[in-house]
Amino acid sequence: MLEKQSNVKAWLYLLPALALLSVFTFYPLFNAFLLAFLKDYVYGSATGFVFMDNFKNVIADPNFNQAVKNTSIIVFVSVPISVTVALMISVLLNSIKKFQGLLQTIFFLPYVTNAIAIGMAFAFIFNESYGLLNLMLSWVNIDPVDWLGSWETGMVSLLIYTVWGGLAFKIMVFLSGLQSIDKQYYDAARVDATPKFRVFTRITVPLLSPMIAYITVTSFIGSFKAYRTIVGLFGPTVLPAGTLPDESFITIVGLIYESLSKSDTPGMVSEAAAASILLFITTLAFTIVNMWVSKKRVHF
Amino acid sequence: MEIKLQDLTKIFQAKDKTETVAVKSLDITIPSGKLIGLLGPSGCGKSTTLYMIAGLLKPNNGRIFFGDEDVTDMAPEDRGIGLVFQNYALYPHMSVQQNIMFPLENIKVPKDEALVRAQEMADLVGIGDLMSRKPKQLSGGQQQRVAIARALVKKPRVLLLDEPLSNLDARLRLQTREEIKRIQRETGITTIFVTHDQEEAMSISDEIVLMELGEKRQMGEPQDVYDFPNNLFVARFLGTPPINMYDGVISKKNVLVNGKAIGTTKGADGEVFVGIRPEGYIIDKDGPLELTVYMVETIGRDTALIIKVPNTENDTFRVIVDASERIKPGEVVKMKIKPKKMFVFNKETGELIN
Amino acid sequence: MEKIIEKLNLKEFWKDLKKFRFTKANVRTIAVYSFLLLFAIFVFIPFYWMILTSLKTLEEIETALQPSLWVKFKDMAFYNYYSALQAAPYIRYMANTVLIAFISTVGTIVTTISAAFAFARLNFKGRDTLFLALIATMMIPGEMFVITNYLTVTGLGWASPFTQTFPEAIMALSFPFMTSVFYIFFLRQTFKTIPDELYLAAKVDGTSDFKYLRRIMVPIASPTIITIIILNAMGTWSAYIWPNLVTSKEEYRLVTNGLRNAYTQNQGIAYNEAMAAAMIVTFPLLIVFLLLKKYIMRGVSRAGTKG
Repeated sequence: MLEKQSNVKAWLYLLPALALLSVFTFYPLFNAFLLAFLKDYVYGSATGFVFMDNFKNVIADPNFNQAVKNTSIIVFVSVPISVTVALMISVLLNSIKKFQGLLQTIFFLPYVTNAIAIGMAFAFIFNESYGLLNLMLSWVNIDPVDWLGSWETGMVSLLIYTVWGGLAFKIMVFLSGLQSIDKQYYDAARVDATPKFRVFTRITVPLLSPMIAYITVTSFIGSFKAYRTIVGLFGPTVLPAGTLPDESFITIVGLIYESLSKSDTPGMVSEAAAASILLFITTLAFTIVNMWVSKKRVHF
Repeated sequence: MEIKLQDLTKIFQAKDKTETVAVKSLDITIPSGKLIGLLGPSGCGKSTTLYMIAGLLKPNNGRIFFGDEDVTDMAPEDRGIGLVFQNYALYPHMSVQQNIMFPLENIKVPKDEALVRAQEMADLVGIGDLMSRKPKQLSGGQQQRVAIARALVKKPRVLLLDEPLSNLDARLRLQTREEIKRIQRETGITTIFVTHDQEEAMSISDEIVLMELGEKRQMGEPQDVYDFPNNLFVARFLGTPPINMYDGVISKKNVLVNGKAIGTTKGADGEVFVGIRPEGYIIDKDGPLELTVYMVETIGRDTALIIKVPNTENDTFRVIVDASERIKPGEVVKMKIKPKKMFVFNKETGELIN
Repeated sequence: MEKIIEKLNLKEFWKDLKKFRFTKANVRTIAVYSFLLLFAIFVFIPFYWMILTSLKTLEEIETALQPSLWVKFKDMAFYNYYSALQAAPYIRYMANTVLIAFISTVGTIVTTISAAFAFARLNFKGRDTLFLALIATMMIPGEMFVITNYLTVTGLGWASPFTQTFPEAIMALSFPFMTSVFYIFFLRQTFKTIPDELYLAAKVDGTSDFKYLRRIMVPIASPTIITIIILNAMGTWSAYIWPNLVTSKEEYRLVTNGLRNAYTQNQGIAYNEAMAAAMIVTFPLLIVFLLLKKYIMRGVSRAGTKG
C-alpha cells in the first residue's frame, strides 16, 4: 500500500458504484424509515407524520398474524432440518470415494435452479390426482391427499420444498469447509481409536463450527424472507380471493408486496415500509443472538 | 516391543495408473526399547514406512510384527501405537489437557484416572503448567511436547514420530532433540522417528536406518554407519561437510588418485570411487596429494580448506585441519590420508571395496 | 458415454462387489451409500418429474389410473415444448432476459471492479469506514430497498402502468442491479491477495493506476470476475419479484415471470405444457451449472469462508 493518499482518484474509482448504491441502497434505507412514519402517504405526498400508526396498522392487519405464523413455521422447522440434513450429507459424502463426484453434482443441482420453475414441478408432485407423492403413498396403501388443498398439508408441502431448496448451498459450504480440514486430525483420531461418531461430534463439528454458524445465520435470514418458494408452489397471488386469512400462505415478505401492490391506496406504502422495518429488526435480533451464541460455541 | 518389518512393499498408484514403488522389500528388525531414526532424503520412503507401521497405510506386500504378533492387517487403533505428526495435529478447539486426555476418553478410562495420567504425561514432557491453554497459545516447541504427551498417555507399545523437529527453529531443535532422547530413556518405549536431517538422526538415535529409493541401505549405530559405510550412498549422505569423492584406480592393491598412490586396498584392479572424509587428511610434506588451497574458513577449533578439484563432481572439496595450522589461500599443501577415513567403492554397484 | 462409464469405474466396482463380505465396516458403507442415495433421489425427483411430465401427452396424464414413472422414447411428446413456446412469447422473454442480464452484468463488472480496486489498493480518507458501511448493508433484507426503489422508478416514469416504453422497462429492470456490495467485497478480497510488490513495481515503472488495474489486476482476478458474471446472469434469469413489480406490459417481462404468469389457474392447466415451459427455463441453468461448476463453486466457498 502506498503511503501517499490519493483522495480524488479514489473517489473517482468509487463514483459509479457509490452513485448507484446511493440511489438504490442508501437512500431507500433511510426512506424506508421515513415512509414508515408518514401519514396517508400516496403518490409522493403525505399529510403529515405519525408515530406508530403505520406499525399498528400492520399488526392489526388480519393477515399479519398469519404471516408471522407462516414465517415462523418456515424458519423454525425448515432451518434446523435442512442444516442437520445438509451436515449429515456433507460429512458422509466427504467420507466416500466411489461415486463422490456424481453424487456431489446431484446435490449441488438445486443451487442454480429457478425457484419458480421448481416450485411448479413440486406443485405437480403434490398434485392430488396426478402427483408423484400420492402415487408413492398408494404403494403403501395410503389414500390420496390433496396436498395443496388445505393449509396443514400445504404447509408440509412447502416445508419439503423449502428444505429441498436449501440443501444445495449448505452442502456446498459444508463440503468446502470439510475439505479444508487437515486430514492429519483424522489420522490422529484413528490412531487414538476414536469411534466414528465421536470423531464427528468432537472433531468434525467443532472444526466446522465457523461454517455451521455462518450457514445458520444466513439460513435464518433467508427463510425469514420466504416468498418466492410460495409463489412457485402456490401461484403468484399469496392472498387468493376467497381464502380465509388463516388458510393463506402469506409471509412477512408476502405482506410487504401485498401492501406495495396497493400503492395507490393512501398509507399502504408506509405499511409496507413499516413491515419491512419489523422484518429487519427481527432478522437483526436473530443475527445478533446467533452471533452471540456462536461466539461462545465457535472455536478459533 | 521388538518391531519386525518383513519384505515390506508399498506401491502407490496415481490416477493415470502409473505406479510408484515407495517402499521396496524392506527388512528391518527394530530392537525393543531403542530409539531408532529412519533417515534418508525426501522421497526415500521413510515416512511411508512409518505410516505402514502406524497402520495408516496398508502395505502391498510383506508383514509387520510387534513382538510375535502379526499386526499387518490390524487397524491403527488396535495396534497400540502413539504417533506424533509432523505438524502435530493438535485439535485446535481443545485445551492442552483435553488434547492429552482425548485418547483416554476413547478407551473409556475413568475421568479421575485420565486427569492424573494426563498430568503425569504433561509433567514428563515439561508442560504441566500449560494445561488450560489452547494449542494456538503455545510455541512450536510446546505444541510438540503436547503432541508427544498425547501420543504417550495411553501407554502405547511403540512411539512413532514423523519429522519431529522439522517445524522448529534451530535453537529449539537442539533442545527438543535432547528432550526426545530423555523422554524415550525415561519411558523405555520403543521409538521410531523419521528425519531427513542426518545430524539429528546421528545425535539421538541408538541406531539409524538409512533409506534410499524405498530400500534400506544400511542400519546400525550412528558412529558405526559413519565409520563403515556399506556403500556410496551412505558415505555421501552422512557427514558434514560431506565426504570428498575422487575418481580413482586400483592397481596392484594400491589406490591411485591422479596417478598418486594414497592408500592400499583388498580390491581387484579397475576404476573406482575413492571417498575421503574431510577430517581424513594429514598435512605431511611427504604426502602424495598436492592440494592448492583456494579459500580458508576458520571456525574456532577447526580450519576448513576449500580446494578446487577439477574433474570431480563438486568441483570444490573441504578439508578439515587443526586451526593451529596457518595456511593462506593460494598455498600448495601436501597431504597424506588416514587409512580409516578412506573408502573405496565399486564404480558400478556403489558397494564398498576397501 | 464411454468416458462417463470409464470415469465411474464400473469394472472395478464389480470386482469389489464380488469380493464383498458382511463385515461391520461393509455394513457401515452400505448404510452410508443408502442414506446418500436416498437423498440424492429426493434431490433429483423434481427434475425427473419435470422432465418426465414434460414428455407425457395430456391424455396419458389425465387418463392413466396411476401416473407412470417412465415414458418410452417413441411415446415422448416433444410437441409439448412447441406448444409451451406458443402459449407465451418465451423467445421474447428470453431475449429480454438476455438483454437485461447483459446490461446489468456489464454495469456490475465495471462498477464493482473499480470500487473494489479503490478499496483494495488506494489509500484514501474514510476508506475503512465506508467499506464497513457497505458491508453492513448486506445484512439488511432487500425488501427494505425494494419499496423505495419501486417508488423511485415509478417516480422517474419508468414503470408507468399504461405508457411504459421498452427503453423505460429496460432501465427499470437493470439500473438497480448495476452494482452489488457483495461482489465489491468478493473482488476486493481477490484483489487483496495480489502482492503489494506488484503494485509498487508497477508504480516504480511509471504505470498508471488504471493501466495497472486493466493489465495486471483484472487478468489475475479473471476467475473471480467470471464467477461474478455467471452468478449475475443466473440471478437475472431467475429474477421474479422486481420484474413483476416494474413491468407493466406482457412483452417486457423476463422468463421467470412469463413462466409463472402463463400457468396460474389451477383448473385446466396443461401440466405437460407447464412442465415443458419450466424445463425451458430450468435447462439453460443446469447446462451453465454443469459446464461452469468450478466458477460457481468459487463464489460459494468464498461466501462460506468469509461470510
